[in-house]
Amino acid sequence: MLIKLAGGKVYDPANNIDGEIRDIYIRDGAIVDTPPASEPVHRSYPLDGKIVMAGAIDLHTHIGGGKVNIARTMLPEDQRGHTRERTALTRSGGGHAAPSTLTAGYRYAEMGYTTCFEPAILPVNARQAHMEMADTPMLDTGGYAMLGSDELLLQLMAEGAEQETINDYVAWTLHASQCIGIKVVNPGGISAFKFNTRELDVDDSHPYYPITPRDIVRTLSRALTDLGVPHPLHVHASNLGVPGNFSSTLATMDAAEGLPIHLTHIQFHSYGAEGDRKFSSSAAQIVEAVNRQPNISMDIGQIMFGQTITVSGDTMRQHANHGHAHPNKWTCMDIECDAGCGVVPFRYRDQNFVNALQWAIGLELFLMMDDPWRVFLTTDHPNGAPFTSYPHLIRLLMDRSFRNDLLAQINPDAAASSHLGSLDREYSLYEIAIMTRAAPARILGLADRGHLRPGAIADITVYHPADNPEKMFEKPMLVFKDGQVVVEEGRITRPVKGSTQVVRPEYDRGIEKRLSRWFDRYHSIKLQNFRISDDEMAEGIGSPVSIHPCDRKRTA
Amino acid sequence: MWNTRIETVMSEVTCPGCGLSCDDLRLEMDNGQLKSLENGCALARSHYSSAFDTASKGAEIKGKGVSLEAALDYGAELLSSAHNPLFAGLATDVNGMRATLELADRCGASLDHMNGDALFRNIRVMQDSGWFTTTFTEARNRADLIVLGGKQWIDRFPRLIERILHPAESLFSPPDDRQFVLLGPWDAAALPDELQRLSPQVIPMQLEQLSDTASLLRGLIAGRPVNARSLGNSVGSQLEELAGQLKAARYSVVSWSAAELDFPHAELTIQNLVDLVKDLNRTTRSAALPLAGTLADTTSNQVCTWQLGYPLRTGLQRGYPEHDPILNRYQDLLKRQEADLLLWLSSLSPQAHPPATDAPTIVLGHPGMAFDNAPDLYIPTGIPGVDHPGHWYRGDSVCPLPLGQLRESALPAVSQVMTALNDKLQHFAGL
Ligand code: SF4
Ligand SMILES: [Zn+2]
Repeated sequence: MLIKLAGGKVYDPANNIDGEIRDIYIRDGAIVDTPPASEPVHRSYPLDGKIVMAGAIDLHTHIGGGKVNIARTMLPEDQRGHTRERTALTRSGGGHAAPSTLTAGYRYAEMGYTTCFEPAILPVNARQAHMEMADTPMLDTGGYAMLGSDELLLQLMAEGAEQETINDYVAWTLHASQCIGIKVVNPGGISAFKFNTRELDVDDSHPYYPITPRDIVRTLSRALTDLGVPHPLHVHASNLGVPGNFSSTLATMDAAEGLPIHLTHIQFHSYGAEGDRKFSSSAAQIVEAVNRQPNISMDIGQIMFGQTITVSGDTMRQHANHGHAHPNKWTCMDIECDAGCGVVPFRYRDQNFVNALQWAIGLELFLMMDDPWRVFLTTDHPNGAPFTSYPHLIRLLMDRSFRNDLLAQINPDAAASSHLGSLDREYSLYEIAIMTRAAPARILGLADRGHLRPGAIADITVYHPADNPEKMFEKPMLVFKDGQVVVEEGRITRPVKGSTQVVRPEYDRGIEKRLSRWFDRYHSIKLQNFRISDDEMAEGIGSPVSIHPCDRKRTA
Repeated sequence: MWNTRIETVMSEVTCPGCGLSCDDLRLEMDNGQLKSLENGCALARSHYSSAFDTASKGAEIKGKGVSLEAALDYGAELLSSAHNPLFAGLATDVNGMRATLELADRCGASLDHMNGDALFRNIRVMQDSGWFTTTFTEARNRADLIVLGGKQWIDRFPRLIERILHPAESLFSPPDDRQFVLLGPWDAAALPDELQRLSPQVIPMQLEQLSDTASLLRGLIAGRPVNARSLGNSVGSQLEELAGQLKAARYSVVSWSAAELDFPHAELTIQNLVDLVKDLNRTTRSAALPLAGTLADTTSNQVCTWQLGYPLRTGLQRGYPEHDPILNRYQDLLKRQEADLLLWLSSLSPQAHPPATDAPTIVLGHPGMAFDNAPDLYIPTGIPGVDHPGHWYRGDSVCPLPLGQLRESALPAVSQVMTALNDKLQHFAGL
């Protein structure tokens, strides 16, 4: 069956197409070359200048895994206020900051998203994360496995294991947990907190092992480079949320020693300690450093005002912040000598100096960053705000007068201490398409999506052009998933299920012997049961894997 | 191990006998019969023998054998004529629960687990205040002071000592240096041998006193002027000492089994234990280790929470989930006659029978079930981890483990029955 999207205004930055009127053809779920005129078109969509982009990709959103279930459990009020009724096609559910899996999938699709990545999968909890994502319909998914506070890696490093051994362990983890990337959260800090250490800066030694966060960042980024894993080490840096933490963030960039790293929710890591309140924006220093170092990319983790819940593997920082919980309840958990999690509900207030400045800092970072290929649109859902605020965020980036109107309403001292008012930049649709499609696909090594070249899977979003970008992005006219229309005018018309995106770097399987011995001695699970097989993904968990290539073979 | 291939010897099998989910079992089969079982405890033995003792059997309508097809038709008919069905029991694997929730959404059913009372003693604390917990591997390697409330844990979680409390090896806390404190109705002179070997400190008390004990400890730790001797001189001095031990411990673990705390407002006891742990974390490290997971309570609750956004005790009558941890207790829904159909799900134990009720009753259950009063419909289902592969959660909630298949079986999985019922209802609805 041949489908034609006729006459849309296409934004496809991966192919340098900036708002040109083009036809797009789809066959068997994929985008194909313009067929010979003789070939019959089975279905044609006259788009007549509607905006056409690839399906959007969210590279950092907490949509699966134990911590989200803890958040759901802790906030029944979040469900109660946002119910979603069952329809003939869709299941019931609800929630705003911590939506049910089905609701999350429907809402993402209704905003034109087709692929999402859970950035904090504890390898020991990977089954649950994949099960939840398998129950998040409409989307292809994937995840980043957390390493860097697991006692096994720290022990290997402390014993002076060869980089080669570490590489094998990292590769084994990617295979075993069915992940596409590796994330490090407060490097070494989750483990250090279990030893009652409450602060760990980049060059502080871990309380038990003679290694520093710097060593961990360097070793893991080296491992991913050696293994040819496309996605750089995904780094949640040290000292999240601490005034003055920009220096830790700069030191973390430095720790990569020129190898690729991705700094996530960098807004939470761009704080100075200047001024009367000892809290200030260091967005300028951060952006200057990122602009200068092409090995570094970042996503923002923009905050929005209102109620949300913060979920993080960073028990050290979540525990330190529990006094800010709103409503007043919080959970922390130490997990399996693997990592941990902390869940703290939070309400960002526009009249609160710190919250207002956090909002401004996020926008400063977006607007000062020169290269849209190295900055990604996230709210670190739900930590800065629920993902449903993306259309609003896009308007803030595209509409300077709207932005300035809101700036005038926030805490005046915060507004006065931010450069935001002086930043004239307005993002173009082309740049938005880079940030939400082309660049995430590129940085994750997904050659099959994020663009509209023949060969790509036909994940396509069509928007009604509108003066107000928020209106445009919150309700697409059509969403195609694998070549089928799944959303019309912002409503699900065909529920579908996706697959799990993974990479499979080569490694020496001899490492399993060593790991297995360690598991037998110390763990409460057998290595054999820790590992998730492809059959299990497809038949048991309910999301078959789709394997993306690694860049190069392991160096001998 | 996720398998569909059955070997004579299966090793590293996960046991669903209790929430510890030991995954080191080795089973040897001979012609579909269990020949030997290694590493499992007595509870595991009884779980697997009751599984292997029952052969496959067919569905029954009011005690009379019928084909599966006829049973499904009848089940769909009962479901479609019910206005307020109750899906309870819910002892099943992850895929069983997924399919159950899909059907519940279609039928507007209410949901509760057979262990709902125990489950919600813990959940209500999470909902009200959150908590600070740890997991098995973490406790095994890190705990230097272990405080155990109650005494049933030793029977409910038979390998807890061997696997977690006093393992052969540990990364950071030598097992022989650990201190154990027992708070509960123990007789210090008559401890079970394996417990005696740990030389625990016994502070005898009634379960109902645990709550005051935790409050007193909090007061002592905070340096507030509390009178520990209000619980008696001997207990009081022991608690004063315990407060000091807790403050000095590098990583204390406080554990209980909510099922044992079977008295009114036991959630307040748990709240106090959780607050004690949270207080300790101001200066040192401490974590709670709630023991749970029996008969898949953790499993079905986890799946429910991600799919519906709420834990169990949620109803779907109005087309969207509504949660009430008190009103939706299954025993009370039946007593108040607010349910006009009971669908009882019990695929793990032949003993977990449905409650007596006037409402028509469908049982999807263990093939070894025998009824005094035959339910309206009984569909014997496969035992997860024996008749079909599946997933099940350990009691510490973070580790869903694969359950392998051990024998060829004609019994349908709960997920298959639920999906078939759902398809039939969809057909009725003309969709
Ligand atoms: S302790 Fe529990 S999980 Fe372990 S073997 Fe016994 S019944 Fe099975
Ligand atoms: Zn995050």
